[in-house]
Amino acid sequence: MTKFIRFFLVDDDTDDTLIFREVLQEVNPSIHLISAVNGQEALNVLKLKNDSLPDIIFLDLNMPCMGGKECLAELKKDEVLRHIPVIMYTTSSQSKDIEETMLKGAICFITKPTNVKELKNILHQIAQNVHGNLEKSLRTLSNTSTTFIVC
Amino acid sequence: MILIVDDKQENLFSLKAFLQLNLYDVDIAVSGEEALKKILKKEYELIILDVQMPGMDGYEVAENITGYSKSRDTPIIFLSAVHIDKRFVTKGYSSGGVDYVTKPFDPELLLLKIKTFTRLYRQTKELNDIKHNLEKKVEERTAELKEANNELEASNAELQQYAFIASHDLQEPLRKIITFSQITKERFISTDEGIHYINRIISSSERMRTLINDLLSYSRLSNVSIPAFVYSDLNLILRETVSDLALAIKEKNAELVIRELPSLQIIPDQMRLVFQNIISNALKFSKKDIKPVIKIWSDYAKEKSADSISLDKGAYCRIYISDNGIGFNEQYLDKIFTMFQRLHGKAEYEGTGIGLSIVKKIIEKHNGLVTAKSKEGGGTTFIIVLPVK
Repeated sequence: MTKFIRFFLVDDDTDDTLIFREVLQEVNPSIHLISAVNGQEALNVLKLKNDSLPDIIFLDLNMPCMGGKECLAELKKDEVLRHIPVIMYTTSSQSKDIEETMLKGAICFITKPTNVKELKNILHQIAQNVHGNLEKSLRTLSNTSTTFIVC
Repeated sequence: MILIVDDKQENLFSLKAFLQLNLYDVDIAVSGEEALKKILKKEYELIILDVQMPGMDGYEVAENITGYSKSRDTPIIFLSAVHIDKRFVTKGYSSGGVDYVTKPFDPELLLLKIKTFTRLYRQTKELNDIKHNLEKKVEERTAELKEANNELEASNAELQQYAFIASHDLQEPLRKIITFSQITKERFISTDEGIHYINRIISSSERMRTLINDLLSYSRLSNVSIPAFVYSDLNLILRETVSDLALAIKEKNAELVIRELPSLQIIPDQMRLVFQNIISNALKFSKKDIKPVIKIWSDYAKEKSADSISLDKGAYCRIYISDNGIGFNEQYLDKIFTMFQRLHGKAEYEGTGIGLSIVKKIIEKHNGLVTAKSKEGGGTTFIIVLPVK
């Protein structure tokens, strides 16, 4: 039995959300994508969805109201939400951002790729392994991909 | 104005009258104490001081006058009827007097002395004023320069920050243009012509991306924090660079001939950029039908010069990177190190025109110099001169 997969994207950039949605659609049309435009909204949405939590969270860094770092810290404080893997998905590639978010508990740091194929490849890998060894598959991907991925 | 100090009224009056007759402004004091009070308030060109006075004597007065900064330069003539002995004269001089006149004195001679000393005092004062003004001006200008320098540093830092942020933010929309173009191409364009045009959009955007990336790395170079100089083996750094460029080297079927390089005090990441830029330039500007050969070697020189004689040891190390590529006319030597200056059309040779300006900036940061020798069609040799210490 295939389990219903839910992705959660937290990003204030509507273009990026559109691209993400489009590419995810191509990768696997059955994946359900929920989105929020800032950290605060993300937390509100997640607290309402106690019975249908996402399998993975993609978190942007720079957002109004509550940014990615703060949101990540809040997520990791919550008894239930802390178990959902978080992938940072941002335009930054600065080492201080990477170090800080990985310390706070993100499993991976992905700099938004320019190439659609790259994004498709990444989302495909994640969709395939979301219930398996996600970190390992991402680490393998980071070795072969030209996109900036740190696990 | 001249101050006469004497406890005897008759002496005071006769000298005062005599000087006034010779057109001098004269002030008087009947004791040492009164004289000091007056000196504190007023400036005198000359003080004529009686030695023997009740209370404070002339020597004490003189010592006080010379110890007080405002009157330090005021000349003092001692007048004495009693202490004409040599040791008193000596004491007078050592307590600050410039002359010692014994009574009875020749008025004409005294007048000449007064003339000379007052003139001397005025000149000294003038000189001091000029000196003081100059010092003040220098101080003012120094303060102004410091201020201007601070402002410049601040605006420079701001500019670098601005360049960094601007470059980073410029990447954003560009990434989206490329991504959306790719999606459009895949989903909605079915004609070859349509694909051709959309490919042009994508490749132009990609070019702009490289441009912005290069600008970013240039602005990072001028970052306020200075990275540490490390004593490093240039062979190692070069080997790393070559392995980074392995794909391009293979594509061009290029041959690299590398001699032993020295170890120097450098910023490793930046020197890697230097090698990378020059070598990829050599690959880029290779002749189409000839196998590219890139040679790298080094020597030493006594001074910071690309042309001085080659030595086995010296204060400066020179690194040569030569190719057998298309070369350039040396009249454009300055141009190749200037940002955005390209000698060739974009269609012929790719590139942003930033690479060599990065090289120049880095080498200058290392207190060295970089230049090139070339002939059109005859290959190019880049010469980097770096201080050994």
